[in-house]
Amino acid sequence: MSSHDVPGAHLFDGIRIADFAWVGVGPNATMQMAFHGAEVIRVESSHRPDTFRSGGPRPAGDRSLDASAYFAKFNRGKRSVAINLAHPRGAEVARRLVATADIVTESFAPGFMQRIGLGYEEVRQIKPDVIMCSMSMEGQTGPHAKFRGFGLTLQATAGVTGVTGWPDRNPVGTGVAYTDWVATHLGIIGILAALDHRNRTGEGQYIDLSQFEASTLVLDAGVIDAANTGRVAGPLGNRDPRHAPHGVYPCADDHTGGDRWVAIAITNDDQWRRLALIIDRQDWLESDELCHAAGRLDAQDALDEGVARWTSTQTVGEVEQMLQAVGIPAHRASNVRDAHDDPQLAHRNHWWPSDHPVIGEMTYESPAWRLSDTPPPMPRRSPLLGEDSEYVYRELCGYSEDEFQQLIVDGVVE
Amino acid sequence: MSQTTPAALSPYRALDLTADLGGLTTMVLAGLGVDVIRVEPPGGHPTRRRGPMLHHDQDSSLYWAQMNAGKRSITLDFDDEADRERLRALGETADFLFESDAPGAMAARGLGYNDLRERAPQLIYVSITPFGQSGPKSLWAASDLIGHVAGGLSSLCGEPDRAPLRPSVEQACNITALNAGSAAMIALHARHLTGRGQHVDVAMQAAMANTLGNARLYYEMDGIITRRAGGARAFADRATRIIYPCADGYVAFVRVPASMPRLHRWMTAEGANPRFDDEKWANISIAGDNLPGDDEIDELESEIESFFAARGAQALYESGQQFNVMICPVNTMQDIVDSPQLAAREFFAEVDDPALGRLRVPGAPLKMSRTPWQSRPAPTPGQHQDEILVAARPGVIHGD
Repeated sequence: MSSHDVPGAHLFDGIRIADFAWVGVGPNATMQMAFHGAEVIRVESSHRPDTFRSGGPRPAGDRSLDASAYFAKFNRGKRSVAINLAHPRGAEVARRLVATADIVTESFAPGFMQRIGLGYEEVRQIKPDVIMCSMSMEGQTGPHAKFRGFGLTLQATAGVTGVTGWPDRNPVGTGVAYTDWVATHLGIIGILAALDHRNRTGEGQYIDLSQFEASTLVLDAGVIDAANTGRVAGPLGNRDPRHAPHGVYPCADDHTGGDRWVAIAITNDDQWRRLALIIDRQDWLESDELCHAAGRLDAQDALDEGVARWTSTQTVGEVEQMLQAVGIPAHRASNVRDAHDDPQLAHRNHWWPSDHPVIGEMTYESPAWRLSDTPPPMPRRSPLLGEDSEYVYRELCGYSEDEFQQLIVDGVVE
Repeated sequence: MSQTTPAALSPYRALDLTADLGGLTTMVLAGLGVDVIRVEPPGGHPTRRRGPMLHHDQDSSLYWAQMNAGKRSITLDFDDEADRERLRALGETADFLFESDAPGAMAARGLGYNDLRERAPQLIYVSITPFGQSGPKSLWAASDLIGHVAGGLSSLCGEPDRAPLRPSVEQACNITALNAGSAAMIALHARHLTGRGQHVDVAMQAAMANTLGNARLYYEMDGIITRRAGGARAFADRATRIIYPCADGYVAFVRVPASMPRLHRWMTAEGANPRFDDEKWANISIAGDNLPGDDEIDELESEIESFFAARGAQALYESGQQFNVMICPVNTMQDIVDSPQLAAREFFAEVDDPALGRLRVPGAPLKMSRTPWQSRPAPTPGQHQDEILVAARPGVIHGD
């Protein structure tokens, strides 16, 4: 039995996704379905390549659109067809492809799909039970529908940036396109819910996913609080409204390049007593105020200073070991190397290998979940731009060999 | 919409036994129509006492209202075998069970996956934990902060001269909960194929590790450890600024090449008389290797800073976007409540909360044309006790 014969390889057999989305949100969503057998066809063009195809990292000196590991990360298990949608005949090819698809995804600025004749109303004329999911910044309607942005800026619109920072400084945001990794899950959940509904009723539908609206989900009670009380939560550094001490503290150099930090979160009074014992602070143990969270919250500055004085004499590994041994939540503030080498992530086989003719051997992320009975097989590597054009034009769209050759000459297949 | 059908997932039922980690998963599923039953301990779930509060008392949690919207509630005492048996019987009627206890804790009560799979082979049993069900750290003490830093994101977040940082709302919990939602939906489709449920193991550390963008790839390919760069996006060993102060707050703006001629036109139209060479900057990649010297970058930055500093965030958003400049406000929670975009899309809904009265709540995080999102209030403890237990008699099979 080859690895592709496992049941997890076939959950979405027979489901074809015409994937007009690009960059992070849409491609990550459709990749999860590709892992389980959906045929995901990225509609691409060298005239307007996916931003991640121009991104990095890439093998030294290789500027080609096939050399980006960042693109590879989000497109494993998929096919790629080159269709120049700006060419008058490109839209016709896209319409033929859509006619064969169960799901259409896109993340263009609202209005673009309509301009090329592939808005939902047109698409459902071609394929009545299609599920179409648009994943734009702020939704298809409203005064800001056509406003531009991307994950680095959208997290500011969506409120994440404003609550990330030190109270005495400017907010900083997460440093990554954070909301991409929020919105993508609403895409997966929405598409799979719609597919389940279609299985039962035969009805397709349209999903208008606003990354702004989806991302408000991760603000806890921030929005509902402001909406009903007018209170506005702000950034707290690493502090917590309920727990103290609660922070990320400096550690001694462990000869891995410096900048070493450990997070410690005291979430109950028992943990507090154990921490005071370990760092040998009799005064803390004897204090009546400090044996309750309220008292510790009042004394945070002094506690943070005391904890930091102790951690600075230990390495991150030593602090983790000593505190975890007595059940105190502690973990190094992992950097990318720590994450890459993390023994727990290694235990889960989190980083999946993939070999690629241009990029070479690399590992890429796997889902944060493990399925006991239907795990997916290792996915096929990400496609070269247009690698599956002949298959899509000839077999799916029904062009003859002569027509396909003419479309190449005309500049449609690029 | 001329005609609507019931919510997308209305045939399904989920049992929600989660603590801090997973309430958001089932809140999303409830909005999509799943009959979510919050199983609370006697006296109510601990997060009912978690702030912010609507009133000055400990029984008006807005956190609870947000995270449990649309669910029903039953109270069961897991120290009592009769109640544990009621839970197992409920398991036979359910499609999903979500729990976030330490690995092994549910099994110790006779409520683990293996305890339920014989009686409830259809059940998709989703465990959500900081590190996963097995492995060297699976029993480590953890919290949102610990799960967050374990994935690596804090090393990319924060000021270079201070500690690595987490957002002040619990992102590790929330993004893990959304991962669990995706996983549950994939397992539901797997059940269509296999006819059986399964055990789904979701880990917070892994969910956070998947937010690192391309930074870990740069380490693997080039050995570069990308580090936090303040209000900026770090690209390997370079960084590009994102956050700028303005007259009444902050805006986010990234100096991408395509924006530079547009920024120039916008500043000109506003009478700001830009001095920078827009054609030159249009060809300078923010992460590329043709960056000019620091003096030249500083000069450009100070021009942009002065322009933003004289204007308000929302005004900069409205006017900059007219010139196709990718700029947006750093919104506060109040800005989100007041957003004209959200108002036009009727994002906010009103519900009658049985404990808190009329509440204005965030609505659909996605708009489905045929199976619209349902905004409903959170339950009081045990509000649906009798109706649920009557329906949970063994032999009554719910779902498909």
